[in-house]
Amino acid sequence: MNSSDRPVIAITMGDAAGVGPEIIVKALAHADLYDRCRPLVVGDAQRLRRAAQICGLTQLRINPVEQVEDARFEPGVVDCIDLKLIPSDLPFGKISAVAGDGAYQYIAKSVELAMAGKVGAICTAPLNKEALHAGGHFYPGHTEMLAELCGVPEVSMMLTAPNLRVVHVTVHIGLIDAIARIEPGLVERTIARGHATLVKAGIANPRIGVCGINPHAGENGLFGHGEEELKIIPAVERCQAKGWNVEGPLPADTLFFRAGRGDFDLVVAMYHDQGHGPVKVMGIEAGVNITIGLPVVRTSVDHGTAFDIAGTGKADERSLLEALRQGIALASREHAPA
Amino acid sequence: MAAPAPLALTLGDPAGVGPEIIVKAWQALRGGGEPFVVIGDFQALAAASPAGASILTRVGSVQEAGALFAAALPVLDMPLSAPVVAGKASSAHAAMIVRWIETAAGLALSGAVSGVVTAPIAKAPLYEAGFGFPGHTEFLAELTALAPLNGARGPVMMLAAADLRTALVTIHDPYVEVPALLTVERIVRTGEVTAQALKRDFGIAAPRLAVTGLNPHAGESGSIGREEVDVIIPAVQALRARGIDAVGPKPADTLFHPEARATYDAAICMYHDQALIPVKMLDFWGGVNLTLGLPIVRTSPDHGVGYDIAGRGVARAESMIAAIRMASEIAQRRLAA
Repeated sequence: MNSSDRPVIAITMGDAAGVGPEIIVKALAHADLYDRCRPLVVGDAQRLRRAAQICGLTQLRINPVEQVEDARFEPGVVDCIDLKLIPSDLPFGKISAVAGDGAYQYIAKSVELAMAGKVGAICTAPLNKEALHAGGHFYPGHTEMLAELCGVPEVSMMLTAPNLRVVHVTVHIGLIDAIARIEPGLVERTIARGHATLVKAGIANPRIGVCGINPHAGENGLFGHGEEELKIIPAVERCQAKGWNVEGPLPADTLFFRAGRGDFDLVVAMYHDQGHGPVKVMGIEAGVNITIGLPVVRTSVDHGTAFDIAGTGKADERSLLEALRQGIALASREHAPA
Repeated sequence: MAAPAPLALTLGDPAGVGPEIIVKAWQALRGGGEPFVVIGDFQALAAASPAGASILTRVGSVQEAGALFAAALPVLDMPLSAPVVAGKASSAHAAMIVRWIETAAGLALSGAVSGVVTAPIAKAPLYEAGFGFPGHTEFLAELTALAPLNGARGPVMMLAAADLRTALVTIHDPYVEVPALLTVERIVRTGEVTAQALKRDFGIAAPRLAVTGLNPHAGESGSIGREEVDVIIPAVQALRARGIDAVGPKPADTLFHPEARATYDAAICMYHDQALIPVKMLDFWGGVNLTLGLPIVRTSPDHGVGYDIAGRGVARAESMIAAIRMASEIAQRRLAA
């Protein structure tokens, strides 16, 4: 397969005392993953070796590299940009400043690679916020850290299911606050982030459907106070003027059905439950959180560091595999092949 | 025992898909046990039928409908005064559209029909003509308000898909008004009416209700919205105090996957899209809208007038057929009670 069809995915190791190293070696032991991408861990090679031993993956070779160009991207080999930050005797399951700082450094290195066009997506293993703070990095979480390191003031949250991609205009604020926060500029920037992500991922002119706020998207002013006209329509018109294939505001209940049958490449949801509900309704594993608006997309596992089972080999790699799958689907096809 | 009374189907907006889906529903159901009579304009139905008026029969009273139903679609003809143009809204039809609904409700209250199934209406042309109700649900509640009702009175709108029932606390209200509309009393009434209907109309002996939150993650204990703490939790407690098996508030995004759906008989939803999105995703063509807590049985398809496709013969009748079947089942269950 042509290597440009296999994007380079940077996998950050997260907190070395958590389950990150174990789920990474378990996920990269799936040889077929290498048919679809070129996985590159950004972390600590010694820690990965220990995780492989714990998980009984003795056939797996850990290959420390200094730059992307040195990676081999072969099944059975775990290529790792080795930052050599973690002492060999670091215990599992304990908060430590050194592991917290490591989690930060892996992200920083991945951002550097993304800004240089060397990776097509970043997939993050979990970090521990307390450890991150102990390591001197005062961020609420991954998303804010990535945005600042990339110099991006605003990002958006995307969720995907088979046949459905949703980007959110607002996320974790109450319904009434969400409606107040929505304004044409925010809607337009959210549409633009979704558009740019899909174009980079190889969808030339993505078909984008934009939800309304009110029942029946306001039914021409009958079921609302003109929120659609005030907050959404100006944004949609500006995007259409750029030649983008954007339609809306549309009643959310029928829009998601239409998107599911293939009428749209992307749905723009106005608030949390409007977008999360449709993705989760089919019972599909939908916990993977996707951040767009960065130089490359970032996907993340849906669990934490699980200090209670870290170092035992019990951690399940399926969420990371799903995060990798979604990262591959949305990875930039424009980044330079290694 | 006498044959059960037929159902009344109101024609709805004659310029929409109503006439067409009614003819299709008759074609699908004429051999079965759910006779119905159309209350509406004979000519509009004839125009929507590929075989013209030949499949229709005028009746002088709804009692004649049952015997004729297998051979022809019975119509209680209440003609329009203006010609119908498929796909074109016209307030000239508004008065008759409203009279058809009033007539059907009257027939149901008298027992002459066993229930009412309404074809879709469009709000705008009715509003132009002075109609003052958000929709069928509120209008039928008004028309039946003085009739006796044993139990909790609605109206409560239920949307039912193949394996999901949802009941709405607010229906077509602008979302900025929803938080102010949510009261303990209103949620409790919705829950009571729903539990009563699950027992009486669906034959579920011990109904289980799941109540949604309003905010993301059901407010996370008040950190992203206060409505759960201030209103919804007390309402769930009040429902439980009345012996109703209610749980919640539950985050709305994780309440509708298959494992979650198996844990309740109806979801009590705070606003329109919370219920309609999962219903349409799970059963886009076959969803049914029911009005609970009325003295009469009332169902309808869960879609609108479809002006864009009206008159082309392409409208799908699954939702109308499901609505007729559901009304018939509920009517029979009430008769047997």
